[in-house]
Amino acid sequence: MTQSPPRSPRDGPIFELRGVSKSFPGVQALSDVSFFLNPGEVHALIGENGAGKSTLIKIMTGIYAPDQGEILLDGQPVQIRNSMEAQTLGIAAIYQEPMVFPDLNVAENIFISHADRGPVVRWGRMYKDAREILDRLDVKLDVRQPARGLTLAAQQAVEIAKAISLDVRVLIMDEPTASLSAHEVAQLFRIVNNLRNQGVAILFIGHRLEEVFQIADRVTVLRDGRWISSAPRADVTTEQVIREMVGRQIDDFFAKTETNRGELLASVRGLTRDGVFSDMNFDVYKGEVLGFAGLVGARRTDVGLALFGINPATSGEIVYEDKSVNIQSPEQAMRLGIAYVTEDRRQLGLVLPMSVVVNVTLPTLPRYLNRLGLVKRSQEAATARTYQEKLSIRTPSLNGEVGKLSGGNQQKVVLSKWLNMEPKLLILDEPTRGIDVRTKAEVHHIINDLAAQGLAIILISSDLPEVLAMSDRVIVMREGRQMGIFPRDEATQETIMTTAMGQVGTANGAGLNGQPATEGGSADSEVPL
Amino acid sequence: MSLSQPAAPATDSPGFLDKAWQRLKSWEGMLLAVLLIVVVFNAVNTPSYLTFGNWVNLFQLYIEKIIIALIMTFIIINGEIDLSVASIMALSAALMAFLHEKEVAFPLAVLIGLLAGLVCGLFNGFWIAFVGLPSLVVTLATLIAYRGLALVLVQDRSIGNFPVWFSNLGQKPLVGGLPFALILFIAGVALAIVILQYSGFGRSVYVIGNNKDVARYSGVNVRGVKMWLFIASGFIAGLAGILYAAHLGAMRGSTADGFELDIITMVLLGGVSIFGGTGSLWGVLLSILIILNLRNGMGLANISGEIQKGFVGVLLILSVLAPNIFGRVQESYNRRRRLSAAETAEA
Repeated sequence: MTQSPPRSPRDGPIFELRGVSKSFPGVQALSDVSFFLNPGEVHALIGENGAGKSTLIKIMTGIYAPDQGEILLDGQPVQIRNSMEAQTLGIAAIYQEPMVFPDLNVAENIFISHADRGPVVRWGRMYKDAREILDRLDVKLDVRQPARGLTLAAQQAVEIAKAISLDVRVLIMDEPTASLSAHEVAQLFRIVNNLRNQGVAILFIGHRLEEVFQIADRVTVLRDGRWISSAPRADVTTEQVIREMVGRQIDDFFAKTETNRGELLASVRGLTRDGVFSDMNFDVYKGEVLGFAGLVGARRTDVGLALFGINPATSGEIVYEDKSVNIQSPEQAMRLGIAYVTEDRRQLGLVLPMSVVVNVTLPTLPRYLNRLGLVKRSQEAATARTYQEKLSIRTPSLNGEVGKLSGGNQQKVVLSKWLNMEPKLLILDEPTRGIDVRTKAEVHHIINDLAAQGLAIILISSDLPEVLAMSDRVIVMREGRQMGIFPRDEATQETIMTTAMGQVGTANGAGLNGQPATEGGSADSEVPL
Repeated sequence: MSLSQPAAPATDSPGFLDKAWQRLKSWEGMLLAVLLIVVVFNAVNTPSYLTFGNWVNLFQLYIEKIIIALIMTFIIINGEIDLSVASIMALSAALMAFLHEKEVAFPLAVLIGLLAGLVCGLFNGFWIAFVGLPSLVVTLATLIAYRGLALVLVQDRSIGNFPVWFSNLGQKPLVGGLPFALILFIAGVALAIVILQYSGFGRSVYVIGNNKDVARYSGVNVRGVKMWLFIASGFIAGLAGILYAAHLGAMRGSTADGFELDIITMVLLGGVSIFGGTGSLWGVLLSILIILNLRNGMGLANISGEIQKGFVGVLLILSVLAPNIFGRVQESYNRRRRLSAAETAEA
């Protein structure tokens, strides 16, 4: 892995990373990554969830400082300490969700960062300059129009114009096409081509390989925070790229022991939440782990939230224990025996300032009340102690704030609170994200034991080896749609990733167009912090 | 489940003295200390202070406010606020007085007045719990609206001439030298402490105040809890309004104007966070006692009402500042300790 990318061409790269590493507690997000960007080149960066793309962008834009390694601009080492400095150096980033000020007009948004033009706004000059920049991009927009009414694609154009107004030389585009329709993607690519012709270096991050191959001049693959390969587009095939992306080592994974599939618990038919996901069809059996794989934005979490009644489905049918049910609230889901372990334990899973005991008994509190409605504290404490022993929760005191525990122990408290409900269907959303290796192995043991006891488990995880090791069957989702169900022996990293990247079918964001990421949606960040 | 080794045994049994010290360091401990100082100071300065009569008096002066402060504690811990309580007081009393004037049987007029408070609370609760509007805005609007309704009913008149039993209820001792409202307050304190600190409902109040989303994701009936709180707040405010009318023997449109701010002051001084989730009724009870004794003592010492108000204001600012200052001092102390530890390690 220490082999470096091919040397730069004769006129030299505009931007270069040399041996950059970055770690967070428990995670090596990037190790020894080197690559460069040439002027007038679109360079695609691809990798699985957690490959380190987000961390890389944050280092390039000064949000994180690298632990090791150098950043070179025009061959000179530079330090990027904050996003302001990145801007001064001509490095800008645009994201999937454009960050425009909805109540300001197009021209104001373009020049929002120009604080150096004196105390009085010269509107005439601003409009003229804004028009010039948009002309350069060949974008037709009224510069006096408020940004609120613009389509996502137009808002992105405004962001790109903003970058140009700051003399951008390196433009990072982080999944810019994720929410765009095919037509809007074509428009965006025309702008990207214009920028390329003007000598801007573009780092393009995308999950849709066909788009990446359409726009990129070179392709770099990251995996597990390491640089894997960089090659001209013409020299690589999609199969090759996918192989490089998924070649992760399955190290120390606890593989699920074979269990006999029990009886059918739930059948989901045509489940849809308008504008979020559509037409999900799957069966859930007792004693079975059903994995949900997919990339960021595949909307797996939203399916879990629909089953748990937080954001109910808008159409389709759920047959649960032979009865058709219409789940509209978490209370209702819980009465059916459905529990949902959230991916965001700090915001949605635990009341951080309250005690371990309070958190463990929260969903089951009515069981701990006497006839007068008072809490039976000793019984509560006994339950918490039971789970402390069962799951070996390491805490100095069960009455201490749960927010002071480590991530892994917090996750065990979340598991306790739902196991105490004695659910029939346990939905686990990223149950091992951001926890240490040891706890991760413990959680895998727990999942295995629960399935052996006859629980039905839905395991949503962005950790591909984890899904493969733990699941009896794997559903692959992509952009709100079910792409396939694979039995354990057919699910390989290559098949899953090929399906998740949608090698069949093309970008059709029709249902998603204009939909910002919903609350609790799959806004997966790649680095657990 | 067959899981790895059991966790280390819990070590939460500090000595008795440690516990006492922890208590004293807490907000409640500090309030208790302040209260003792005020009481001792008053007792030394004014001989008549420590008489039974003065203590009844001291409560009686603020009795309506401190009754409402109990339910306000629930609401603020829940992460909400009810600014409309004083207007509900006025509206309930106005409706009662208006019906009395129209020669409706007096007990019925009282009942309808109480009911009006409940309906006002229901209206607040609907917008907050079910529509999801911020309580600050909703109750600010109803603060104006309910007061407006009260003024429509009584205009610029003062309505009195209530039955003698009613005025006596508000002014004369009922049992053992204690007036009705004070007995109600004492019972209310006991009930409120049991509900907030020991019941399942109280637990939900805290959980929601800390994090509504976690509560919702755990199947807690967030809407139901908020609804009940605002209904209770409306009803209790209505009751307090009627007690106030009995207490004064008359009411007018401006009755109880601005009381909500005194009530909220008591709750915040009691260590309840304006952001919800923390605080206790014990603290609020102590803060009520401090404010009452402080004002009583200053009154007995012939300090003017304006200066008394200023004093309470300063106290509130200090109460908000104190935790911040403590936190910062603690932090810098810890940092210094870490630094010196690091230096020793290097050496």
